[in-house]
Amino acid sequence: MRKKGRFHSLKKLRPRQDWSRWSLYSISQLKPPITSPKTFFQQKWTAKSLTRAYHGEQIREKVWKRMFKRNLPAVVSMDYKYLARNDGSEQAAGRGAGAEGPKAPKNPPMTPYMQMTYYPIERRLDSAIFRSLFASSARQARQFCVHGLVKVNGKKMVYPGYMLNPGDLFQVEPSSVMYATGAPKTRSSTARRIAKEKSTARADEWNEKSKVNPPTTELIQSTNREEPTAAELKTHMQSLMKDVEDVLNEDVSAKDKQKFRGLRQQIRKSISLWKTANPETISTLDSQFDFLKNAIRARSAELEATTPTTTDAESTTLMSSEDQQKLKQAFEKLKLETEHTSEWNKRNAAAPYATPWRPRDYMSAFAFIPRYLEVNQNICAAVYLRHPVARPGLAEVPTPFHLETGQLAFNWYLRRR
Amino acid sequence: MPPCIRPSNVSSSLTSCPSVSSISAIRPRSLPQPAQATREFSQSSSRQVTLRRRKFYQWLNGPGRSLKQPLPNSTNYLGAYDQYGNLVRADPRWLAKQKREGKGAKEAAETDGAKKEDEVLPEGQEADDMDMAARRLEKEEDVLNKKKDDDESDQLPPETVEDLRPFPSNRFFRSQPVLSEDLREAIYKAMTDPHRPMSLPAASVHFGVSNERIGAVYRLKHMEKEWIAQGKTLAIPYRKAVMDMLPKTPHVGDSNKRPIPHEPINDLIVHPATRQQLFVPVAESRQFTRVDAGKAFDNDLLPADDRIPHPEMVHVERDTISGMPSSERLERAKERLISQMKEKSEKEEAAKQAEKAALTKVAGRRWDFVIQDVSVESVGKDGRDYRGVGWRYGLPHEDRKKGVVKIPTSVDA
Repeated sequence: MRKKGRFHSLKKLRPRQDWSRWSLYSISQLKPPITSPKTFFQQKWTAKSLTRAYHGEQIREKVWKRMFKRNLPAVVSMDYKYLARNDGSEQAAGRGAGAEGPKAPKNPPMTPYMQMTYYPIERRLDSAIFRSLFASSARQARQFCVHGLVKVNGKKMVYPGYMLNPGDLFQVEPSSVMYATGAPKTRSSTARRIAKEKSTARADEWNEKSKVNPPTTELIQSTNREEPTAAELKTHMQSLMKDVEDVLNEDVSAKDKQKFRGLRQQIRKSISLWKTANPETISTLDSQFDFLKNAIRARSAELEATTPTTTDAESTTLMSSEDQQKLKQAFEKLKLETEHTSEWNKRNAAAPYATPWRPRDYMSAFAFIPRYLEVNQNICAAVYLRHPVARPGLAEVPTPFHLETGQLAFNWYLRRR
Repeated sequence: MPPCIRPSNVSSSLTSCPSVSSISAIRPRSLPQPAQATREFSQSSSRQVTLRRRKFYQWLNGPGRSLKQPLPNSTNYLGAYDQYGNLVRADPRWLAKQKREGKGAKEAAETDGAKKEDEVLPEGQEADDMDMAARRLEKEEDVLNKKKDDDESDQLPPETVEDLRPFPSNRFFRSQPVLSEDLREAIYKAMTDPHRPMSLPAASVHFGVSNERIGAVYRLKHMEKEWIAQGKTLAIPYRKAVMDMLPKTPHVGDSNKRPIPHEPINDLIVHPATRQQLFVPVAESRQFTRVDAGKAFDNDLLPADDRIPHPEMVHVERDTISGMPSSERLERAKERLISQMKEKSEKEEAAKQAEKAALTKVAGRRWDFVIQDVSVESVGKDGRDYRGVGWRYGLPHEDRKKGVVKIPTSVDA
C-alpha cells in the first residue's frame, strides 16, 4: 500500500479542518482553479480532491457518496410589508413581466448553491462540534465523541457520524473544551526555566508594589475562595450588604458614602437576581468592598497623623481629581486581577492546558459560528437549529474554496463524468 | 555500521548560496534553524530549509503574524488584512500607535500605498443588508460618542463585510454575528418574566431573532441556570475569549429604543416544486396571485404569506395599510390569535375523539377488553415498524447484527 502523504504538506497545500498555522497558510494561498490547460475531468478531479481534503476527510469516499444530495437547500427572506402590500399579481403587470418604474426592485444577488455541496457533512455530530468552536479540529471533535465526552439531548453519544436533527442539543465536557481550545502546556526545560525567571521577576515586582500599596495584596487573597453554590451566594451577599450598612453608619466622607451606596444598590440588585448571579460577580463585589474599606482606613490614619482637625471641604478636596483618578485606576486593575486570578481561571498545575487559560494561537482567525448553530459557551452546549441553507449572496456551509472549485466538485459527484 | 557523518546543513547552504549575507538579512529571525543543531543524527531527508518552508515561515512571521493573537475588541480574520499583513480598515493613527508599541514594525510603513488601493470595498450581495447597516450605524454612533467623550484615536473602526471573511477566496461566506451575552440574558428574562412572560413568537418579533434560535437560547440559558444552581464549573474564561473574537449583535438596554435585529425572521424555504420553470397560460384579464402561483407549482403548495414563520406580521401590516386605528388592530390581532388557538385545540380534541372511537370495548367480568384495529400496512417497508403487529410479539432487534448501521437516527429530548 502506498504511504499516505503528510497531513499538512507544504508541497501540496491543502486546507484542513483545524486551527493550525498550516491550514491558515494554505487558506491564504488559495486561488481560483486554473482551468485552461486541463481537461474537464482533470478540473473536476482536482477540485474534488482539494475540497474533500477539507470536508470530512475522515469519512470514506463511499460513505460520503451515499450522503451526497443533489438537491441543495435554500431560503429567501421575505419582506412582510411587501407581502401585505402586494398579492403577487403585480409581477405580471405592464407587458407581463412586472411594471418597470422608479420603484422597480433590483435584481437580488446570486444564490451560491454551488458552495453548498458538502452541507450533509455539516450535519454530522463531529463537524457540528468543530463548527461550534468546541474542538480545535474535526479529528479532535471526532475523538471527543468516541471517548464519550459528548452528549446529545442529555444522553451520551459515541458515534461521531450521528446525523443531528434540527433541535438537537449537544454538549461537550467543558474541561475538554478548555483543553482543546486553550494554549498547550509547555514542558520543555527552557520553557520551565523561562517561566521560573518570569515568575521571580513578577514576584519581585509584586513585593515592591505591596510595599507601596498593601491593600491590594489583601484583596487578591480575599478573592481566592472555594466555589460557592447559589444559596451560599445569596447568604454571602446578604452579609456583604450588612457590612456595607454598618460601615455607612460609621462616619465616612460624603464621596465614600456615595460609593458605598452604589455598592449597596448593586448588591441589592444582585440579591433580587440571586439565581442569575455567578461567583465571579460576587467576588468582584467582595473585592470592591474590601478595597473601599481599606482605602478609608488608610486615609483616616493618614489624616489623623497629619491634621487631627479635618473639615468637610478638605476631605472633598482630598478625594477630588488625583485621588479619584487613582481610585478609578485601582478599580480597573482590580477588575483585571479578579478576572485573571478568580476561581475560574487560576493557576492550576493539574490542568492539561496552560494556566491561566488563554486561547491557542491562530484561534481568532478561525473563530466563527455559522448561523445554523446556537452556542452557549458557558456550558459548552449548542443547539443544531436547522440544516445549513443558501440564501441570496450567502452560503452557510463554511468552505474556504472559490465558487468555481465548489461547482467543479459538485459536478464530480453528479456522476456524469 | 558506523553512523553516517554528514556535512552540517549550515555549511552546505553557505557553499551553495553565494549571497548568503543579503538573504539572511531579509529572512525573518525565527526560522527554525536551531533545530538543525539539535538533530545531528536525524536521517530524514527534509532537514534542509526548503524554499517552500522558507516561504511558509516568511508568511507566518510577516503577514500571518497579526493572526496569531486575537485583536482586542475586534474580530481578526484573514479577510481583514491585505497581502502584506496590514489591517485594511485601520486608521493610520492606530497603525502608528501599534508601530510605537512595536508590533507591526516594518510592514506598516512600506505598504501605505498598497493599503489605499485595497480600501475600496465591494459592497452589496447581503441577505440582511438592512440590519447590517443598522448595526454599523449603531457602532458608528458609539464610536462618535466615544470620540466626543475622551478624544482617543486608538479605537478601530467597525468591521466591514470584507473584514468578516475568514476565507478570502470564498466571497459567499462570512462570519455572521452571534447573540451577545446580554442579549441572550435579556431574551431569557423576557420569556420568564413573572408578570408578563413573552411568548416565543412575540419574543422572536421583538428581538429580531428567528423562532428556533429563541427556543434554543431559552433551553441553553435554562440549562446554564441549572448548572449555576448546582455549583458546576462554567467555562467562563473560554466564553470570554470566544465572545471577544466573534462579531456580536449587541443588546440595546434602553427600553425606548428598538432592539437591533439579529437575523431575517421571515425566511421562506425554497420548495423543491418551485425549482422548475413553469409556463402557465393565463388570461390577461385574470388576476393571477401568489395563491394561484402556488397551486400551479404544486396542488398543496400554500402561498408565501402562509409559509413564512410569522404570517401574523403580514395580517397586522394589512390592517395598518387599510387605515385602522391601533386599538382596533390590536383587537383584531387578539381575535386572530384566539381563533387560531381554538382551531388548534379543536383539532387535537377531534383527533383524540377519533382515536377513542376506533377502540372497541367489550365488558368482561373483571376487566374490559379493549380491541384495536391494526392494519397490515402499518408494519412499514421493512416490516419492523412498532405500529405493526410483529413488534409487540418479540420481533428481534438487529442492533448486534453484522453489517447493520447501529448509529441512532434520533435521540429523544
